[in-house]
Amino acid sequence: MTASTPWRRFSSLSPSWLFALPALLVYAAVVLYPSVAGMLYAFTDWSGIGEDRSFVGLSNLAALFDDEQAMGSIGNTLLLTVAVVVVQNGVGLLLALGVHAKLKSRAVLRAVFFAPVVVSPVMVAFLWKYVYTPDPSAGLNGLLGLDVDWLGNPSVALWSIAGMVVWQYAGYSMVIFLAGLEGVPRELHEAAMIDGAGTLQRFRYVTWPLLAPALTINLMLSTIGGLKLFDQVFAATNGGPGYATETLSTVLYKQAFVFGKFGYSTAIALVLALFVAAVSLVQVYYLRRREVSQ
Amino acid sequence: MSDLRDAKMSRVQFFRMMGGLAAAAAATACSTKPSSTTAQGQASTTELRFVGVADQKAPMDEIVAAYKQVKPGVTVNTSFAPTDQVQTSVRTQLGAGNAPDLHVVYPGNGSAMSMSQIAKAGLLADLSDQAWTKTIPTGFKPAFQSEGKTYIYSAGSSVIGAIYNKKAFEKAGVDAPPTTWTEFLALCDKLKKAGVTPIALGAQTPWVTQLITYALVPSTVYAKDPSFDDKQLAGQASFAQSGWRQAMEMYLELQKRGFFNDNPNGTTFEQQTSMVATGKAAMAIQVSAVLPDFRKAASGPDDLSMFPVPGADSADQVWIPAGVVVGLGAAAKGRNVGEAKAFIDFLGKQENINRWAKAISAIPLTQDSASTIDPAVQSFLPFTKDRAVPFMDQRWPNAEVQPVHFAVVQELLAGKIKVDEALKKMDEAYAK
Amino acid sequence: MKRTFLLEIVMIAVAVAFLFPVYALITLSLKDPAQISQTPLALPAPPSLDNYATAWTAASLGPSLVNSTVITVVSLVALIALGSFAAYYLARAQSRLGYGLYVLFLLGIVLPFQLGMIPLYQLVTDLGLIGSHAGMIIFYTGIQLPFTVFLYTGFIRALPREYASAAQIDGASHLVAFAKVVFPLLRPITGTVLILNAVFIWNDFFTPLLYLGGSGYETIPVSVFAFVGQYVSNHGLVFAGLVLGSLPIVLAFLLLQRYVIKGFSSGLKG
Repeated sequence: MTASTPWRRFSSLSPSWLFALPALLVYAAVVLYPSVAGMLYAFTDWSGIGEDRSFVGLSNLAALFDDEQAMGSIGNTLLLTVAVVVVQNGVGLLLALGVHAKLKSRAVLRAVFFAPVVVSPVMVAFLWKYVYTPDPSAGLNGLLGLDVDWLGNPSVALWSIAGMVVWQYAGYSMVIFLAGLEGVPRELHEAAMIDGAGTLQRFRYVTWPLLAPALTINLMLSTIGGLKLFDQVFAATNGGPGYATETLSTVLYKQAFVFGKFGYSTAIALVLALFVAAVSLVQVYYLRRREVSQ
Repeated sequence: MSDLRDAKMSRVQFFRMMGGLAAAAAATACSTKPSSTTAQGQASTTELRFVGVADQKAPMDEIVAAYKQVKPGVTVNTSFAPTDQVQTSVRTQLGAGNAPDLHVVYPGNGSAMSMSQIAKAGLLADLSDQAWTKTIPTGFKPAFQSEGKTYIYSAGSSVIGAIYNKKAFEKAGVDAPPTTWTEFLALCDKLKKAGVTPIALGAQTPWVTQLITYALVPSTVYAKDPSFDDKQLAGQASFAQSGWRQAMEMYLELQKRGFFNDNPNGTTFEQQTSMVATGKAAMAIQVSAVLPDFRKAASGPDDLSMFPVPGADSADQVWIPAGVVVGLGAAAKGRNVGEAKAFIDFLGKQENINRWAKAISAIPLTQDSASTIDPAVQSFLPFTKDRAVPFMDQRWPNAEVQPVHFAVVQELLAGKIKVDEALKKMDEAYAK
Repeated sequence: MKRTFLLEIVMIAVAVAFLFPVYALITLSLKDPAQISQTPLALPAPPSLDNYATAWTAASLGPSLVNSTVITVVSLVALIALGSFAAYYLARAQSRLGYGLYVLFLLGIVLPFQLGMIPLYQLVTDLGLIGSHAGMIIFYTGIQLPFTVFLYTGFIRALPREYASAAQIDGASHLVAFAKVVFPLLRPITGTVLILNAVFIWNDFFTPLLYLGGSGYETIPVSVFAFVGQYVSNHGLVFAGLVLGSLPIVLAFLLLQRYVIKGFSSGLKG
């Protein structure tokens, strides 16, 4: 092995690019090539089946801007993403602060809060569909003595879905914040205490700045997850009632597989990809800048 | 960083791990290819792949087992999943040019998995030379045929009507099912006064939303104009300017009078089923194919029966919806087209039509002395000859009208739009 | 001390509230339909395991368990090997090529999977891998590589270079240095990679349905949803099916939870 030249040639500098080759091959075959080949459908009027297709240029993209439903779904996608990002990370942070303290039950608590992460999102949606039953004697209504139509009321449904997603993934954010908290040196806290800082002040001036990397990872993961969210919406409401919870992902799904407009659906998928990429790039840019400024 | 210190992996361990990976990959590569044909010389076996929706599991399991007896050389591997996922999976396979040998197909037109749409793309095998296709009743031909050729097998038809809980009716003192719309409203009123929810509606589940309109439209549209579909296709009729308006208004009247459960938009098909099965609600307007689901949830299967929903005020103007049930077709370009068609030919035998129909409480496509008809749908039989219409979507020209119908019904129930707007949206989708 | 006690009470209360959906799941799965409709929130009286017996046999979960395990385990090994290897180069390369490849991998995180669905299906068909474990393993390895590479690269960048350099001074090649020195140092992030990928692969439903449907090699979620689709009207049965389908991964997590959460924390520190 040591005799083969490419491995040795740059050994004093950086590792050879051959290290990345196996991964690159599999990645190219499974993701890159199919995605590029699939992208081409965005410029056709293909139904998704059969040989019948013709080139239509950019008209699918143009049609998107006149499509009331697709445009409406962009609004829902953004609302849902913002709600999930803010609440999931807020709750995750509070949970992390809670279980970071020296509690007797901390190991159990961590396990409890993280456990939903490992369960299939579709199964979680199935369960929550029951939890969200409008029956006032069962589910969440029965527990809280409420009479809310969680998934059936168009002005509530989107937030109910956000609630379900937060329940499943708050533990994920919690664990990442915990990682950050464990990196905060205890001496810093002690020093701040000696200086007479209160709990809130210590959080604001000692803990919070050091949580920056964890926060950025959390923000990025939950934003991408929120923008691409599909399984949960689809299983819980299928975009309804009416169009109240339709997101870009459900619209592109329906165009392809329910309406038989594969070309148009691919155009929407492209727009979604660009959108997610743009948002992530902005976040990465801020991450870098913050890390540099520290 | 204590992990860093106690994390030691020797080079030997590492290479053992990498070697293990290679061995595991090789092992799976060898073990995972199912033997589709055995070596020459021995009797060869063919494996047919079938992908279907969950409703098809009961009849398919039974008939596939029977086929094994008749033709031991052919195995039918079946898989079933909820409708949406099957639709996605089969359309992807069709799109990539490698469909399963046999797969679910919906009759007529009007959905992305319907016979017309898939046959038009040249992806369904022509079944016209099979004996059973010669006996398809004339009224059902549009569901089975595209340009004169048969592309789908289906075991019969199901009807839409009111599935009701006999005990709940007895408790409220109802003895006979209603025969006019006025009687139907009076019945609901009586049930309501007896403290039971008259109609369970699970409109959170999209396909459930359409059933009440479908139950009424035969009487409000087709009884007056049996050729409505042709006129609509020719652009001479519309949803907005037809009995569809009346049907939607009747739908909303039921809601306004408080005959539905609270929050129908948040109630699922499953909850609807259990409400009727347990007697919390007295009836549900549903398709007869789900009778087995209702019975499974009830304390005894005889608790439930069914009657036609009278959508008109004179009994002779009442028509009913009777549609061909979801069926299956053979892939036109598969490797085993011959064997797949042979299996469908087997399904076309009268005894198998009877078997399938029985498993899903359907009215068999053709009948002989051994055919049984579920007692719950007996009351529909007088209508099936000349006062029955196929499910509306089976004649719709594209796959967008039906989902729009689902969405506008939910919006109507939520009070977000008016009937005018709902019908306008449906007409727009129809015109696409 | 008093404040910690108070916090403990509050956190336990939060956890109990948090577990309400799980309570609903488990109690319903132990009830018959009559109990579910009459006393939906009460404890099952008497509890019955009938739903579980029915679900286990009707969904034929035994064989699916084997399929899911094989696919998940082999994919994980492949992901860890390929991902850590590639990340070692990506994290240490100082060339434009290295940065370009890194960005190329990250692209995979944002691409919606629907984009490549049909061409990929054609490719897998042409390779004769439909209906086989191997097809699924290659698929999961490819689709999860971007995230894996992202996690590994971040972690390796934060490692002091001296570890590997010291080995190289001894005359070892990069390959040997990676195997002997770097890879062992990656154990914390490997824990994170393991768990996140295992969760995704184990729970994925659509791809195995597409590639394995009707092959006899169905995974747990495919079997569970075929079952659920059939018994939709019986919540008790459906929930028993969901519990059985999630149990293996939840048990694995609970057994390993100390390592999982610890690995997570130390892994993401980079």
